[in-house]
Amino acid sequence: MSGGSCTEGKEHEKDGENLAAWLLGIKTLKIQPYHLPSLGPHDVKVRVKALGICGSDIHHFKTMRCANFIVKKPMVIGHECAGIIEEVGSQVKSLAVGDRVALEPGISCRQCNLCKDGRYNLCPEMKFFGSPPTNGSLANKVVHPANLCFKLPDNVSLEEGAMCEPLSVGVHACRRANVGPETNVLIMGAGPIGLVTLLAARAFGAPRIVIVDVDECRLSIAKNLGADETIQVSTNIQDVSEEVVKIQNAMGSGIDVSFDCVGFDKTTSTALNATRSGGKVCLIGLAKSEMTAPLTPAAAREVDVIGIFRYRNTWPLCIEFLKTGKIDVKPLITHRFGFSQQEVEDAFETSARGGSAIKVMFNL
Amino acid sequence: MGKGGMSHGGAGEDKDGEEENMAAWLVGINTLKIQAFKLPPLGPHDVRVRMKAVGICGSDVHYLRTMRCADFVVKEPMVIGHECAGIIEEVGSEVKDLVPGDRVALEPGISCWRCDLCKEGRYNLCPEMKFFATPPVHGSLANQVVHPADLCFKLPDNVSLEEGAMCEPLSVGVHACRRANIGPETNVLVMGAGPIGLVTLLAARAFGAPRIVIVDVDDHRLSVAKELGADGIIKVSTNIQDVAEEVVQIHKAMGAGIDVSFDCAGFDKTMSTALSATRAGGKVCLVGMGHSEMTVPLTPAAAREVDVVGIFRYKNTWPLCLEFIRSGKIDVKRLITHRFGFSQKEVEEAFETSAGGGNAIKVMFNL
Repeated sequence: MSGGSCTEGKEHEKDGENLAAWLLGIKTLKIQPYHLPSLGPHDVKVRVKALGICGSDIHHFKTMRCANFIVKKPMVIGHECAGIIEEVGSQVKSLAVGDRVALEPGISCRQCNLCKDGRYNLCPEMKFFGSPPTNGSLANKVVHPANLCFKLPDNVSLEEGAMCEPLSVGVHACRRANVGPETNVLIMGAGPIGLVTLLAARAFGAPRIVIVDVDECRLSIAKNLGADETIQVSTNIQDVSEEVVKIQNAMGSGIDVSFDCVGFDKTTSTALNATRSGGKVCLIGLAKSEMTAPLTPAAAREVDVIGIFRYRNTWPLCIEFLKTGKIDVKPLITHRFGFSQQEVEDAFETSARGGSAIKVMFNL
Repeated sequence: MGKGGMSHGGAGEDKDGEEENMAAWLVGINTLKIQAFKLPPLGPHDVRVRMKAVGICGSDVHYLRTMRCADFVVKEPMVIGHECAGIIEEVGSEVKDLVPGDRVALEPGISCWRCDLCKEGRYNLCPEMKFFATPPVHGSLANQVVHPADLCFKLPDNVSLEEGAMCEPLSVGVHACRRANIGPETNVLVMGAGPIGLVTLLAARAFGAPRIVIVDVDDHRLSVAKELGADGIIKVSTNIQDVAEEVVQIHKAMGAGIDVSFDCAGFDKTMSTALSATRAGGKVCLVGMGHSEMTVPLTPAAAREVDVVGIFRYKNTWPLCLEFIRSGKIDVKRLITHRFGFSQKEVEEAFETSAGGGNAIKVMFNL
């Protein structure tokens, strides 16, 4: 389990003491010792080698909360990671010391109805790296259940392993929305989540993908990643009808599935209006709590709204996509930093700025 | 098809001594007039039906009051009504399954059968749909209509013509239960105990829902719901501040997670309540069409993978509705609260009664 304690940082880097990046307060990260729990029979100890920063990490960093999760005491940040096995618990058979693995962050209870039903991402007892009060994984080492560590093929790097986490969101969304060789896809937002959704939709066989954003630079990245069309849109809600027309023209045929990777009134409204009768809108972006959207006209065309929360059972598929080259996540990694106090601060600054920074990656 | 021409003049026989077909025409806001309705000739796949039972729907009342419903605008006089059943008078040359004298329930909407949606079976979404009393297509509150034979469903002997007419609203509930996958493990919440909430209750029970809680602002409608088999009834307010408290009450009444919620009202409050009350991984079915834009806690629901399923009319529901009624699995008779004959005065009173809501659930014409 990824529990552990924060000891005041008097003895840095002595005798291989484990260090981690702790969130102590608003915009305050400090590298301090992180005492790991002892290894359970089904656990492994992983030396973390690559870790990406997520929008939710930034949100915790800036506000000490994310939706209903509140950081009440110092917490290790970070959850998108991969590393090398250093030690395995007594019952661990499928992994060995030296194995390169990508980590699925969330430990579910395995006993509730949702878990037993396979929808473990919705487990109310979920313990998720970097979601308070569970410590994250921006650390030298973490302890984690072996069954949530997935061995990387030789041709998949540790950074690509860390990218499995955001990619999983796109993969889970494509599954829930049933993306396939006949589904024309619209993606609202070309940020990290919009882009992994684009990659996943292509891998699932979507014949045509149109992506929209306010930022030209992000749209050009999307084009390089294989979007069929990109459209620059505004932040002005009055522009919805006009943009829907542009989007439908760009698609050239009915839009079967729209992914709202942003989650504002405007993006959801656009998606609901642009999607064909009988189609689906997948709400991935979790921006606002209350939304004002034209739900009724959409429901009257049987456009369904599908909710997406994290992912489940996606690592094997993500790794397979990366191994075969069906998906290439490397272009998404735009900035790299090492694991030092200064670099941790710079990295978060860079990620928070957005713009040309897509995925900021730590190499430990 | 339910198209035809409007000729002015009195009822009774026309100059050829044949019975003149009369219908209730919507000629302006709050203005219905019984006038002649000339039927089109019978096509090879059509039948001519003498209407015997026609129910009034909320959408009919909406057209009466405003001459429009969402994007559909009544631009010229239109025959009203669409929930109907009758007796076959004449069959087209290619019609094999029906004969004069057969008692049938009518499915109102004629789809194109050529577009992708039709070919996929989602014909309720056909953009070329011609639906009784959705402008510009004439409805069926008339002595007779002409309609495709494949949209006329023979009534079993023990199913009355009124019950046949009730298949239409019941179909909405049945279609919703199918889209929401109601079964023996789905605990159901129904928002609204009006005609649509009540047919949804009946359908959910028939689909095997183990526990059904229904809410409304009106005590009388809740008591009807209890009579019809609701396990729990809760009186709620129209005040959006009460959502959190009502969600608690609803959870207590259900006693377990709510798998599917049907919003049969379609307001911000009912939708917000449904989204908040439904368990993670569950579904909210938006059946009621209230406001166009809604302000609701969509994101917290999406973050629990509560999906919103849209419902528009129905598809392929008549056979199942008739089977439910035939076998007694569903009893719709209690929903018919008022009956009127087909005269100018009674048509006006019937619509007034239906528009008044309250104790009036389904107002039925007997022709």
